[in-house]
Amino acid sequence: MLQRRLMVGLALLAVLSSGRFAAAAEEGGSELRFARDVQPILSEFCFQCHGPDAKAREGNLRLDRAEDALRRDDPVIVPGNAAGSALIERVVSQDDERRMPPPSSKRRPTPAQIETLRRWIDQGARWGGHWAFEPIGVSGTPVVNDSRLARHPLDHYLIARLEQHGSRMADPASGSAWLRRVALDLTGLPPEYELLVDFQQPELPDAGERAADRLLASPAYGERMVWEWLDAARYADSNGYQGDAERTMWPWRDWAIGAFNRDLPFDQFSIWQLAGDLLPESTHEQKLATGFCRNHMINGEGGRIAAENRVDYVMDMTETAGTVWLGLTLNCCRCHDHKFDPLSQREYYQLAAFFNNQPVDGGGGDPQTRPVLEAASPEQLRQRDELDGRLTAARQALDKFEQQRFPREDGQTAADSAAAAELPAEIREILKNAGSQRNRGQLEKLEKQFAADNTHTALLQAIRSAGEARDAVSRSIPRVMIMEELPDPRENFILYKGLYDKPAEKVGIRVPEQLARYDAEWPSNRLGLARWLFAAEQPLTARVIVNRFWSQLFGAGIVKTTEDFGVQGDRPEHPELLDRLAHDFRTDWDVKRLMRALVLSGAYRQSSRATPELLERDPENRMLARGPRGRMPSWMLRDQALAVSGLLTRRMGGPPVRPYQPNGIWEEATFGNKRYEQDHGESLYRRSAYTFWRRIIAPSVFFDSGSRQTCTVKQARTNTPLHALLTLNDTTYVEAARALAWSTSDLHDPRERLRQLFLRTLIRDPRPEEIDILLAARDRLARQFSAEPASADALLAVGEFKNGPVADPIGATSWIALCNTILNLDEVLCKE
Amino acid sequence: MRSAARIARRHFLGDTSLGIGGAALAALLGQENALAANEPIVGSPATGSSPSSQRGSLAGLPHFAPRAKHVIYLFQNGAPTHVDLFDYKPKLSEMHGKPVPEEYFAGKRFSTMTGSPQGKVMLAPVEPFAQRGASGAWVSDFLPHTAAIADELCFIKSLHSDAVNHAPAISLLLSGAQIPGRPTLGAWLSYGLGTESESLPAFVVMTSVSKGTTCGQIFYDFYWGSGFLPSRFQGVKFRGSSDPVLYLRNPEGINSEIRRGQLDDLARLNALKLAESGDPEISTRIAQYEMAFRMQASVPELTDLRQESAETLDLYGPQVREPGTFAYHCLMARRLIERGVRSVQVMHAGWDQHNSLTTELYTQCKDTDQPSAALVLDLKRRGLLQDTLVIWGGEFGRTPFIQGNLNERARWGRDHHPYAFTAWLAGGGVRPGISYGESDDLGMNVARDPVHVHDLQATILYLMGVDHERLTFKFQGRQFRLTDVHGQVVQPILA
Repeated sequence: MLQRRLMVGLALLAVLSSGRFAAAAEEGGSELRFARDVQPILSEFCFQCHGPDAKAREGNLRLDRAEDALRRDDPVIVPGNAAGSALIERVVSQDDERRMPPPSSKRRPTPAQIETLRRWIDQGARWGGHWAFEPIGVSGTPVVNDSRLARHPLDHYLIARLEQHGSRMADPASGSAWLRRVALDLTGLPPEYELLVDFQQPELPDAGERAADRLLASPAYGERMVWEWLDAARYADSNGYQGDAERTMWPWRDWAIGAFNRDLPFDQFSIWQLAGDLLPESTHEQKLATGFCRNHMINGEGGRIAAENRVDYVMDMTETAGTVWLGLTLNCCRCHDHKFDPLSQREYYQLAAFFNNQPVDGGGGDPQTRPVLEAASPEQLRQRDELDGRLTAARQALDKFEQQRFPREDGQTAADSAAAAELPAEIREILKNAGSQRNRGQLEKLEKQFAADNTHTALLQAIRSAGEARDAVSRSIPRVMIMEELPDPRENFILYKGLYDKPAEKVGIRVPEQLARYDAEWPSNRLGLARWLFAAEQPLTARVIVNRFWSQLFGAGIVKTTEDFGVQGDRPEHPELLDRLAHDFRTDWDVKRLMRALVLSGAYRQSSRATPELLERDPENRMLARGPRGRMPSWMLRDQALAVSGLLTRRMGGPPVRPYQPNGIWEEATFGNKRYEQDHGESLYRRSAYTFWRRIIAPSVFFDSGSRQTCTVKQARTNTPLHALLTLNDTTYVEAARALAWSTSDLHDPRERLRQLFLRTLIRDPRPEEIDILLAARDRLARQFSAEPASADALLAVGEFKNGPVADPIGATSWIALCNTILNLDEVLCKE
Repeated sequence: MRSAARIARRHFLGDTSLGIGGAALAALLGQENALAANEPIVGSPATGSSPSSQRGSLAGLPHFAPRAKHVIYLFQNGAPTHVDLFDYKPKLSEMHGKPVPEEYFAGKRFSTMTGSPQGKVMLAPVEPFAQRGASGAWVSDFLPHTAAIADELCFIKSLHSDAVNHAPAISLLLSGAQIPGRPTLGAWLSYGLGTESESLPAFVVMTSVSKGTTCGQIFYDFYWGSGFLPSRFQGVKFRGSSDPVLYLRNPEGINSEIRRGQLDDLARLNALKLAESGDPEISTRIAQYEMAFRMQASVPELTDLRQESAETLDLYGPQVREPGTFAYHCLMARRLIERGVRSVQVMHAGWDQHNSLTTELYTQCKDTDQPSAALVLDLKRRGLLQDTLVIWGGEFGRTPFIQGNLNERARWGRDHHPYAFTAWLAGGGVRPGISYGESDDLGMNVARDPVHVHDLQATILYLMGVDHERLTFKFQGRQFRLTDVHGQVVQPILA
């Protein structure tokens, strides 16, 4: 761990010293690229009047399309000749009547921007393609006027942009606010007490760095990071569709948590999941990782055509990979060429071919459709070995006994023995096989036949019971669906309208090479595909992944459409920053290093307070002139409630659990076929990542999660009365209030008790006006409960948490209701 | 468990007494100066009344006397085939199997499934048409119940849209823009007009799909989003279940009076937070907690269908007894507007008949025809129709030419077609028993009195007493409105 941390530290040092950044900037500095360098300037200063909007267009000039901007008649841009281009002449003009943008717009490109335009025209005014398909470039760290709030080179990009707009970063949030924010972001839990203490050691420097390192090293980090990955991987504990049979993919889920925790580099993390089975000498773990591909729904409806299912699964694997790593929505290409992105139907089926060459046949609804991998625990392996031994011994004992019971020549079977001559033909038939070869039915028949012979029967029964015990252990071993490659490749076709039975033209196995070249050294299979996704010239993967991690922390991506980097998606708000982060990330694909840099940045440390001016200017906080603030995802709310109340169980991994859920939800959705059997005890208090996920009806407590039916990489953030009802009334939250109240019940000074409650939930002291409101509330609640003592008893019994003897039920209950209120404070529900 | 919790707490306390808690934290906190919220949001939480702007309308609204106070949009997701349901074109039957004449499609863009209509052949209506009622409106045999109320309806047969794919077209129709992110009709109405209901959200959404449909359409939540308007104006989606809203009941031991007090405390504390942080989402949260409280009383009453007579239930058809069906949602829509809800958006998917005109279209019509007609009749006999605008229609129409093979009747289909399609309106200030606008003799293009989806939006807003050009919201330096920079009120259909 120390070594690991040292490495993280050194890596960050390298970044901070900005030697790497500076060097990279030089490489990328000379050649201008349209999408990155030029288009944003044109977009910012010209498109309003010379863009796509026909109604707003002035002077019959468009600058958003090459064919208009580079027109030959009355040219505006003369490629290779900036001095002779009207664009430059107008932009630099001193004549207010001629200057563009007009002085009334109050917008001026900077001298550097004008220089960029000039150089771009002189270099030939090459119009580029879609920004996301252009190579990742690295510009020099922008120079800023005031770098006091910068903590990392990435901040310079944001500050420079803000300064252009006459704005600045907000002052840092208080240390405790940052600590709560970062703990929730990195572990999904509020900071633990020890962390808070360490954070506040005045004699130790770098409190933030130390806190970040401790959080990154916590096992809770993987349990937090896995959530978006489970959404993306459409992980569930059942098949989906009618029937919705249970499956056992959870060892894959545990693998993913572990991989985040030991910081398996993201390229390895990905390659294993796409093609771990194809790696040389692939390990059990690498095969297990391919369960990612097999998290698709399985349609077990009667009458479904297996071949049609199979095609559905292959398409789902293809589209999932497309969204997760390339940030492209491919599903439209099933039926037709993509309307907006340069991906043809042919290319879709060529890409799908990578996932086509595996043995899944689409048959049946068996949640363990082959190929599967047994993911046994060490205890299960030990038991199975032991029972295998017992079975072998029992068989040997029987053979030895029958040797004496049915004497015969060498090479003869028991059936040939004179002693067997009188036996029925059926029994003699069975006796032709040695003891080790007999199945259960045969053993039962022999038991009946030889019932009078206690020794013989006992030996037969010993085999049967050892066999049954061994089978029971075998059945209890979870089988994870994984990938395998077929030795004889399937043929691949374009499917007319995506229909499995309408194969059209035959296609090969190929990536869309306009994105990045496919190295001839790579095999034409999933492993090659995975290598291509992480190839040096691949423009999408690093951008897409960095953007998603960014959005996890800042509430929105630099590209807002985290799921769509295609032409229809949003453009990056800070393109140079995105490229810089992507460029840096792909030097080692170290997720922890990335997260560490982000949470320690000046941008992330800002206070989230919003002024009316800021809200008017930038309501969505795209420019990041303030820190992120927003409601936590519902799963994190639950984990927070469990943690602050002390109910949370930290046991990791294993089969999914069934915590509280209102009655009848599964039953209604499945016409009574699936009953929700709620768990008890510890299983009620596990991290949310371990909650059983029924695909056709997701856990109701997670009111804002992806459906887990197909890949989801964008989280919805809504604010409706339905959420309020849940956090006020759900047993999970009421019980948490009860446990929270109980755990502070020996503090007799109510002010001190309130203070403890605030420290636990908000990592801060209550303010005097808050204390006034809450103390008055407590007195009112006490009066209300004394009027109805039965209510107090009822509230004390919500949930299965057992508290000790309560001397004063009315007092206790008032505090429970008060904690119920506190757990619903906006500040408690939000990361801020 | 308790012992662990206690130990942790003792640490907390113990160390606090060494000065690490309070003083150190206080030093870390800082920033006490409050700043004002950018809009007055919180009414008077102390009395528990709802925030005023949730209930109240904007100043100056309605702009003129409204013809309707409520709107129910029966949104037919997937695009119903106008030429098989409402837009009768005898020439289609005459030209059955003949190629599409080029002059009808020149220069037009179609879904890439069709590509160019060149060489495609015309397809006659699947079912016969007849003129219905005194008004003589054409409705096909697919929709017998709708046919029976034709005299109540105003058909617009010259609708046209700009988008050829579902999600962009639905977004255009409901929010005025193909790209998601603008406020939807219901959100604009809540924002502008407020709500008459104190106890239910101003904008409620319910979604359903016909059983056994092969359509995989998704109901995206931007179909009822509030875009850049404050998020309290977004539609509240009810579950398709006998419990449309979960967690309605207070926990055991917390009665309504206790809960009221808790919410007053929460509102006060959250208002402090709002003043400090300035995040407008906090005001939404305060409003939503208040609405949650009121819904605890109103929703059980809302969904208690025992108050409905057997005769009324029968009017909506057998599926009305099955929560989550379109029929159930139609009845709920009536009950919602009876209780003052401003906008109800009932969405039903499965109209995307690319290859199922002779199969799934029947189910689709069966599931929606009777309940839609029943809703109009039921509103009328209760005297609610005059105040309620009902709209029935999808995001575009379907091609008058075939998709598929003429010889394979079982897989006949029609592709997306935004150049002419039909919707009907009823009640709320609309002239009943008329048909407005015409498509050409093949149902391909608008021939007379075109109504763009922006015009439909302008008209709906007009009927609600809103000038579509004056209901605006400034966002990123620009005034936005539902109709973007377009829209003409369709005056001739007004009563």
